[in-house]
Amino acid sequence: MKKPYLSVNDLSFEYPDGFKALKNITFELSKNERVAVLGPNGAGKTTFILHLNGILGNLDEKIEINHLKYSQENINKIRKTVGLVFQDPDDQLFMPTVLEDVMFGPKNFGFSIEEAEQNAIEALQKVKMLDYAEKPPHHLSFGQKRKVAIASVLASKPELLVLDEPSSNLDPASRRELVEILKNLDISLILVTHDIPMALEICKRSIILNGGKITTDDETYMILKDRNTMEENRLELPFGFALHHLDE
Amino acid sequence: MDTSHSHHLEIHGNSILSELKPELKIFTTFCIVFSIAFLSLENNLFIFLQFFIVLYFLFISKIKVKTYFKRLSIDIPFILFALFLPFISKGDNKVMFEIFSVSVYETGFNEMISILIKITLCVSLAIVLTATTSNIEIIYGLQKLKLSPLLISILSFAIRYIDVFIDEFKRVRVAMKSRGYDEKGIKGLKPIAYASGALLIRGYERGERVYNSMLSRGFTGSIELKEREYKSSKSLLLFSTISICITIIDRVLI
Repeated sequence: MKKPYLSVNDLSFEYPDGFKALKNITFELSKNERVAVLGPNGAGKTTFILHLNGILGNLDEKIEINHLKYSQENINKIRKTVGLVFQDPDDQLFMPTVLEDVMFGPKNFGFSIEEAEQNAIEALQKVKMLDYAEKPPHHLSFGQKRKVAIASVLASKPELLVLDEPSSNLDPASRRELVEILKNLDISLILVTHDIPMALEICKRSIILNGGKITTDDETYMILKDRNTMEENRLELPFGFALHHLDE
Repeated sequence: MDTSHSHHLEIHGNSILSELKPELKIFTTFCIVFSIAFLSLENNLFIFLQFFIVLYFLFISKIKVKTYFKRLSIDIPFILFALFLPFISKGDNKVMFEIFSVSVYETGFNEMISILIKITLCVSLAIVLTATTSNIEIIYGLQKLKLSPLLISILSFAIRYIDVFIDEFKRVRVAMKSRGYDEKGIKGLKPIAYASGALLIRGYERGERVYNSMLSRGFTGSIELKEREYKSSKSLLLFSTISICITIIDRVLI
């Protein structure tokens, strides 16, 4: 049987204050698959993705990506393979100019200065932000910061892109542009979101995290159709959004 | 909410100084400030020479007179302190004259003149440097001058996040005002103190998130700014040398 691209086996995590954020998570992802992680606030979604990037957890080899086991010695390779876009772009963009920020990751991951700059320029082109390369990040709008944050991760050429609520606080046009950018990326994707239409548009498959456990793992469309599952996990379709339009 | 970015001191003009290497400007400023600080002030010629060097830089910086004096106001606390010196610094108890039966001592008077001249000249140079060099360029220049990478990182973060914190504080104040908060008087200080405390905690939490995001992009302990291209200038080095020589002649040879 073919090994999954990413596998998480029986992963649990407890914060120092005793709060059990993750309980026996088992999850698999195929190469170039796109999965949405849905669930109410405080369900453990962000904790889960911080584990995927090797930031939280004790790296005890419960996670494996592309035959690479999570361990301290592999940590740099793991972080290069799994690109993580944080929820608040102000947490991510800290260098004096956009270009330098986008070059920060590639430089750390061993690309030469020339390669890092080339990667950064390509990544900024992908998110249509190249014109802002020399601007300081704090002078950008929120939507622009979000695009730069995505570019800053893409520049390291990750194989799996993990995004934490990428559509939060975006105006409809910025959200639309973001969806187009994500749809055009040719890499594996894990999308943590409360934006159910976005999950449906980008990810064929979704998992629901609730109370630190994966309660559902199914096709996004099937989950949205299942009223009981939606209610049990405090999920709701936006007002005016009707699934039967998609059926027609 | 937009920030006013009021702490950005660079003036986008057409001064030749704006195009020069930041490390050269920082080095020159440091040399001249150092020379002025060690000047004995016993020989008027040397004071005038240093004064003309500073005046030359003020002239080529193309900073407006009004802006210059506005920024010079930063030395008011030092001036106020200096104005007290003739009355309190007795030295060898030599009284120059009396104002309303309060003695004005010669030592204190000389110290006052020294501080006023030196502070004004040094602050003027700092104004020239900050008006012709952006925050980022100053950090870049310090990096070129081999300042510790840790200090470079701290300075970069300070510049990057000061706007974020000013914005957050503004939002908190607006939220307070919208619930009827009146910031006048002593009573108004308590909620501001609480808000500042909350902001401090938020800052700590943000620091942790920023650090996580840096880790996720392979952060290994130091950040380096991209190479930039600037013009070099031998005249800055010449002025630094002249300024240092003036002080050496003043202190050692005369």
